[in-house]
Amino acid sequence: MKLASSLRWHLNVTVLGSAWLKWDRLRLARKLRRPWRHPHLGPPLLTSPRLKELISRHYLRGRFANDRYPVAWVTSGAPVEVLVALGYFVIYPENHGAVCGIREVGDTMAAHAEAAGYSPDLCSYARADIGAALSGETPVGRLPRPDLLLCCTNICQTVLYWYRVLAEHFGCPLVVIDTPFVYDQASEHAVTYVERQIEDSVAVCERVAGRALDSRRLQRVTSRSKEAVALWGSVLQCGMARPTPITAFDAFIHMAPIVEMRGEELTVAYYRALLAELRRRVDRGIGAVKGERHRVLWDNLPIWHRLRWLGELLAEHQVAMVASTYTNAWGELAELIDPARPIASAARCYIHPILNRGTGHKLATMRRMVGEYGVDGVILHSDRSCKPYSIGQVDQRSRLAGEAGVPALLLEADHNDPRSFSEQQATTRLQAFLEMLAA
Amino acid sequence: MRTLHPELPPIPSRADAVGEHLAGGGQVAAVLPVHYPRSLLRAFDLLPVEVWGPPVRDTQLGDAHLQAYTCSVVRSGLAVALAGGIDVASVLVVPHTCDSLQGLASLLLDLVPARQAVVPLYHPRVGGPAGTYFLAAELRAVYTRLADVTGRHPDDAALSAAIAREEAADARLAALLARQGSLPLGDRAFYTLARSREYLPAERFTPLADAALALPDAPADPAQVPIVLSGMFPEPMALFDAIAAAGGRVVGDDTACVGRRAYPAGRSDDPFVRMAERLVDGPPDSTRGSAVAVRLARLRGLVAARGVRAVLFLEVKFCEPELFYLPLLRAGLEADGVRSTTIEVDVTEALPHQAITRLEALLETVAP
Repeated sequence: MKLASSLRWHLNVTVLGSAWLKWDRLRLARKLRRPWRHPHLGPPLLTSPRLKELISRHYLRGRFANDRYPVAWVTSGAPVEVLVALGYFVIYPENHGAVCGIREVGDTMAAHAEAAGYSPDLCSYARADIGAALSGETPVGRLPRPDLLLCCTNICQTVLYWYRVLAEHFGCPLVVIDTPFVYDQASEHAVTYVERQIEDSVAVCERVAGRALDSRRLQRVTSRSKEAVALWGSVLQCGMARPTPITAFDAFIHMAPIVEMRGEELTVAYYRALLAELRRRVDRGIGAVKGERHRVLWDNLPIWHRLRWLGELLAEHQVAMVASTYTNAWGELAELIDPARPIASAARCYIHPILNRGTGHKLATMRRMVGEYGVDGVILHSDRSCKPYSIGQVDQRSRLAGEAGVPALLLEADHNDPRSFSEQQATTRLQAFLEMLAA
Repeated sequence: MRTLHPELPPIPSRADAVGEHLAGGGQVAAVLPVHYPRSLLRAFDLLPVEVWGPPVRDTQLGDAHLQAYTCSVVRSGLAVALAGGIDVASVLVVPHTCDSLQGLASLLLDLVPARQAVVPLYHPRVGGPAGTYFLAAELRAVYTRLADVTGRHPDDAALSAAIAREEAADARLAALLARQGSLPLGDRAFYTLARSREYLPAERFTPLADAALALPDAPADPAQVPIVLSGMFPEPMALFDAIAAAGGRVVGDDTACVGRRAYPAGRSDDPFVRMAERLVDGPPDSTRGSAVAVRLARLRGLVAARGVRAVLFLEVKFCEPELFYLPLLRAGLEADGVRSTTIEVDVTEALPHQAITRLEALLETVAP
């Protein structure tokens, strides 16, 4: 059995899969060398084929991971370093949900969950993921069955209920890392509580993996996480340049490795390459949007099923979406990570993402980003599926527009469910907003 | 004052209880759902008065700050606060029950200042020593905040006395729940009594409950269909009239506002640890992130103990903690041959006729 699974892995992943992905990358790279003729968008990033190879490789490995690795499904903001150091193959259901959204099957997946009784009022990532688990369908071929679930509440409480459902469905252990909400400053007892939970989780993770945690390996993984997070932060800061060499739409796509492959050497290497390309573009004045005239900031998750539509609509009006609070969340906490104290620093780091902080902090972050990125307007995506990110936006919009004098638009949509989105209504609102920017 | 039964003393209204407490020199704390340490507030002579979204209110003031996909409890709660409906309170406690209440607390602290001192309270989502450690520390932080607001500094003896009063009251609530369906009180009267815990001081609730518990059992009516109530909270109260009209009778409770708040006594001599133990060891609840299997086991136990074949879930639209658990709970009950249905309510609206139809259909399917 072991021999058969090992052969299956090597044949499908190491030999055929890798060769095919490499060929595909080279094919795409050749395609990118052709003259670029889009009327509004700048030339695509040359590192994009490499990103595609990286992500496809991840999901290809995922297809056969059950034969070779312990598998964990984890939330996007979870302290994943312990799992990586223990050799887990890690899947992020939210990222898979985003893939479903981009491939425009988010509603199809959600329908499987709804047919099983899950309310359409629940988060559309969760519905897509539960639908995929119930139906076995996925646009990535096959998701490996989890041996362990790790849920960290630093992005929302929704993930806790969602993972309770997954735990019931898969019958596997669920580790919860509960991160108290930070209304103002994180209290010491909250940080200690998180640290204690991470420490307690190690024994469960070791038991499921069947091996002991090597502290030096954990330090190396943490070090790579820190480097990747810092590089990602630098990538995003390239958006401060005029014209910006990268839009938030690019960042939504290129954030995949920092979300689902933190702690891996390939992720560090990828972001080094991306950063180098962006810096070259800055030096050469190559913009992501042709004739960039206005710059906007995005708040909240992207509308995955309308990324291209929105990107082209803005570019048509020579508007570059130069930054987003969402992608920024994975790049702003590098300084809190300390490889010499991997668990203690993880507790402090993972309690502080923007989604685990108050509405005032998010407003302050937006104000800071408006200044740093030289932004002319802000689009706040009022996301039906993400209440923790969306509550407060009505007043944040008013404050931005009133006190900071920055035009701000509240755009109603849903990050993954096209049924909760009206393109016509959104177009009307966006056009009015863009006219205001141009005035 | 309302009379629930000829042999029971009248039950004070919310306004009576608040008025009496203020007249005695105390202060009032408005409290949003679900779990919080009553004894800690009482030690500061703060009377907790819960705000579960007063029914059928105009939520326009809340809607000006919150999106329409926020649950009606939160929108209504904000509307009431902004309209001056809780001005009698000097403190507003917002437990971290869900993302929406978390957002409301943050909104009130940062962007839409309330007239009261806003005190958020985070509930640990893991139990055991880590959860108890955290919650005890969190309660100490709340103590400091309340001391700042009230100028009072109750000592350990005062805290322990308050805990003892609340433990006694919760024991009475548990006893009432154990006899639900057999007491000579209709559903409306039973829930009026049980939910008076939401605003009555423990020392007023306990003798009322004792008087009710002293009543002899009423003979069972074989024509009535016994059911268990689950979900968030039984609103509007007209629901009980609908249940009675359809031939039903509630004999067991698993609602977040009643059955899931019959907290056990604590064990520790440290008052903060003891208060934390009580909350952490409370009945399984989706808002505290209990495992589905544990929630289901409790429901199954309740159904079996009361000989019930139907469960009615009362859910608030957009209530994620409840809605995630619902399909698995219902499937588990269905596997045992127990029928269930869900009625979705919006606290800002009257009971929809569709809900009554669903209720009638449920009772018809299990009627003898």
